[in-house]
Amino acid sequence: MQRLHARYPFLEAARDAVATEAVDLATVVEQDDAVVDRARERVVAALEDGETGEPRREARVELLSYPVARVLVSMVEENILVRKYARAEAATAYDRFTADLEETTELKSVESTGLDLETLLSEFDLHGDVRETSGGYRIDVGTYLPLAEDCWDDEWRLVNRALADGEVPVSEAELLVLLQEAIRSRIEEGLPFDVPEVIATALEEEEAEIRDVLADLELTREIDTVVPDLFPPCMKALLDQIQKGEHLPHHSRFAITAFLANIGMTTDEIVDLYRVNSSFGEEMTRYQTDHIRGDSSPTEYSAPSCATMQSYGDCVNKDDLCERIPHPMAYYEERIDDADDDEVEDWRDESDEGQEASGD
Amino acid sequence: MEERTRAYLRGRFRDHYRRTEITPPPAANEREWGYIPWTEGPDTTMVRHRSLLELGDLSEFLVRKRPQHVYFSAGRFRDPGASSMHAKDWQSADLVFDLDADHLPSVTLGEDSYAEMLAKCKDALFRLIEFLEDDFGFEELEFVFSGGRGYHVHVRDENVLHLDREHRREIVDYVRGIGMDYEELIDTETVAGLGRKTPTERRTLEIDGGWGARTHDHLMAFVEDLLAMDDEDALERLQEFDGIGEGKATATLNAARNNREQLEAGNVTVHTAVSQLAERFASQAVERDNAPIDEPVTTDTNRLIRLPGSLHGGSGLKTVRLERDELVEFDPLDDAVPETFRGHEITVDVTRGGEVELGGDSFTVTEGDQSLPEYVAVFLMARGRAEKEKE
Repeated sequence: MQRLHARYPFLEAARDAVATEAVDLATVVEQDDAVVDRARERVVAALEDGETGEPRREARVELLSYPVARVLVSMVEENILVRKYARAEAATAYDRFTADLEETTELKSVESTGLDLETLLSEFDLHGDVRETSGGYRIDVGTYLPLAEDCWDDEWRLVNRALADGEVPVSEAELLVLLQEAIRSRIEEGLPFDVPEVIATALEEEEAEIRDVLADLELTREIDTVVPDLFPPCMKALLDQIQKGEHLPHHSRFAITAFLANIGMTTDEIVDLYRVNSSFGEEMTRYQTDHIRGDSSPTEYSAPSCATMQSYGDCVNKDDLCERIPHPMAYYEERIDDADDDEVEDWRDESDEGQEASGD
Repeated sequence: MEERTRAYLRGRFRDHYRRTEITPPPAANEREWGYIPWTEGPDTTMVRHRSLLELGDLSEFLVRKRPQHVYFSAGRFRDPGASSMHAKDWQSADLVFDLDADHLPSVTLGEDSYAEMLAKCKDALFRLIEFLEDDFGFEELEFVFSGGRGYHVHVRDENVLHLDREHRREIVDYVRGIGMDYEELIDTETVAGLGRKTPTERRTLEIDGGWGARTHDHLMAFVEDLLAMDDEDALERLQEFDGIGEGKATATLNAARNNREQLEAGNVTVHTAVSQLAERFASQAVERDNAPIDEPVTTDTNRLIRLPGSLHGGSGLKTVRLERDELVEFDPLDDAVPETFRGHEITVDVTRGGEVELGGDSFTVTEGDQSLPEYVAVFLMARGRAEKEKE
C-alpha cells in the first residue's frame, strides 16, 4: 500500500496514511534529512525541468517528501511556483498512471502497485459523471467544463464537441488528460498555506535555495513582467485605445484588464498604465480589476482565449505567432521567453519617471 | 414623466400586487434582491444588496413599495444582504439565458412592430430550448416572458449550478456557435487503401451530437433536395456554390446517388466536393440554428433577474412564468396584460401616438386627450408616450 501512496502522494488515502502514521511534520523536517532533501528536489525539479525528480527507493521517504514539498512551496509563496509545481506533480502522476494502466491491461495483474481507472475516477468523485461507451467515454457537461478549463486547444472547446443529452464524448486518451487536470487542481488546492513557525525555521535553507533557483530561471519574469512591446497585437491595440481615451465596449475592456491582471499587474499599476489619458475612468478600472482578480467577486477571471477575442471582433493585426497559439497569454509567455534579457525592461521599472511626467 | 402619472402608476401597481399571489424562486432567502422605485427623472437608482429577510414577506413588500421593477439574483449566497460581492460569499448560481428582441439579428429595429419582435424572439426561444433540452439534457427549466422585449430561461439542474463565469462562457459560445471550427467536428481515421498499398485517411463528421450533428442535418436535407430534382436542376443547384464547377457537381451528385449510406454515416471523404459542401453547411448551421442569447446575462453569476409575476415598469405588462407546453400558444401582448388593468377605460394625454397592439386588439392612437382601455393607457404611460390627464 505504501508504495502506491508513495507513487501517488496526492491521493486521499495517502494523506490519511501520513496522518495515521502519526508523523509529526515538525519532527520530520528537523530530523529526517532524506525526506527534506527529496522534498527540496521535488520542487527544484519542478522549476527546472517540469518534473519531480528521481523517486527514492524508500517508500516512506518518498511519501513524506510530498507534504514537505508543499510546505516549501507555501513558504516561497509565489503564484508561478505554485502553478509550476502543481503542473509538474500532475505531469509525473500522468506518466505514472498511464504506464500503470498499460501494465494492468497487459498483465491483468491484481497485485501491482499501480492505479486503475476505476480507482482514479472514484478518487475524484467522477464515478457518476463518467460513463464508458463502445468507442470511449461520455462525461457530464457540468463536470467536463471545469476539468477542461485549462486545456487551451480548440478541440477542447465545448462548441467543437459532440455534446448530446448533457454528455460530452471523449476518447480514452482525452479522459486521461482530464484526469491529469483533476490532479493538478487537487494539488493546487490550498496552496500556498500558512506554515507554522517551527516548521518554517527548520526549512529556511531549502526555502532560500528554491528562491535562488526561481531567481536564476527568472521564472517570475515569465508571467510577472510587464513589457507592452511584447504584448499580443490584440492587447496592444486595446491598450492603445484606452490610452487614447477611447470608449471600449465592456468585453474589450474586460479582456485587456484581465490580461494585465493575469500577467501580474496590481490594480494600482493597471490604473497607472491606463492613466495616460484623463478620461480612462479610474473608478471603473479599479472596480473591474478588483472584480477580475477575485477581490470583490467569487471568482478570479482569466483573459479570454483567441477564439473569444475573435468572436468579439477584438482579434486584430494577427501575426505569425498568433497562428500558433490559442491564447493571448500563451503569445506573451512565448515572446517573453524568446526575448533576450536586455530587451525585457519591465514597464514598472521605468514608471517612476513616467508617473511624474504625467502629473496626477 | 409627470408626478401625477407616476402617482397613478404607483397606485395601480399597488392594486395589482394586492390581488396577486407571487411565487418566489427556490431558495429565495439565499438570493440578493433589488428593486427600482418610482422616482423622478430619467435616472433610475436600484436599491440592491437586500436579503429577503430585510424585505420581509414578499407579497407585503410588493404592496408596500409597489416598485417600478423588482429583481432577484441568479446567484445564491451565504449572506445575500452583505453590501459587497465578496462578503456575500457566493455559493452557486442558476444558469440564466436572456433573449432580448433588441439584440436579435433577425429584428429590424424601427421597422418591426412590437408584436413582430416578440414573435421573432419566441422563434429564437425555441431554438434555444432545443440546445438546452437536447444537447445539454437539462430538466429543471423555467421559462419566463420578461414583460418587456423578450424571454428568460432559468436552468436549475444541480450539475451546472457550481459553474463559474468562464465555464458559462463556453456554454454561451456553444449555443451561439462562436468559435466552431469545422475541422474540429471531423474524426480522422487511417484506413487501408482500397486496392492500393498506401493507407488513406477517412474523415467522418461527428454526427452523434453538437454542431457536427447540426451540420450533418443541413447537409442531408440538401442531399434530399438534390435527389428530388432532375439531373439538370441538381447540377445547376450544386454549381451555385462557390468553388463547385461542373466536374465537382457531377461527382457530388454521383456520391449522393451511389454513396448515400456513407453520407448518412457522416463520411465526408467520399469526394473532396462533399467535404467542401459539408464545411459550407457548418457555417450555415451556425447562421440558422444559433440562439442569439445576450452573453453577459449568462456569464454573470451575480446577475439580478426580473421576478416572475411582477410588473414591468417599462410596459405595465406582467412578467409571466410559463410551462413548457404553454409556450406555443402564449401571446405576450394578450396573456401578459394584467387583469387589474382590464375592463375599464381612463383618460390620458397621449404625447406620442401610433399603432398599439395589446390585449388581443389593435389600436390606432392619436395624440392628445382621450379615453383608452386602462392597459393601453398604462402601457403608453410606462413607455413615456402619454401622461395622466390633469385633474
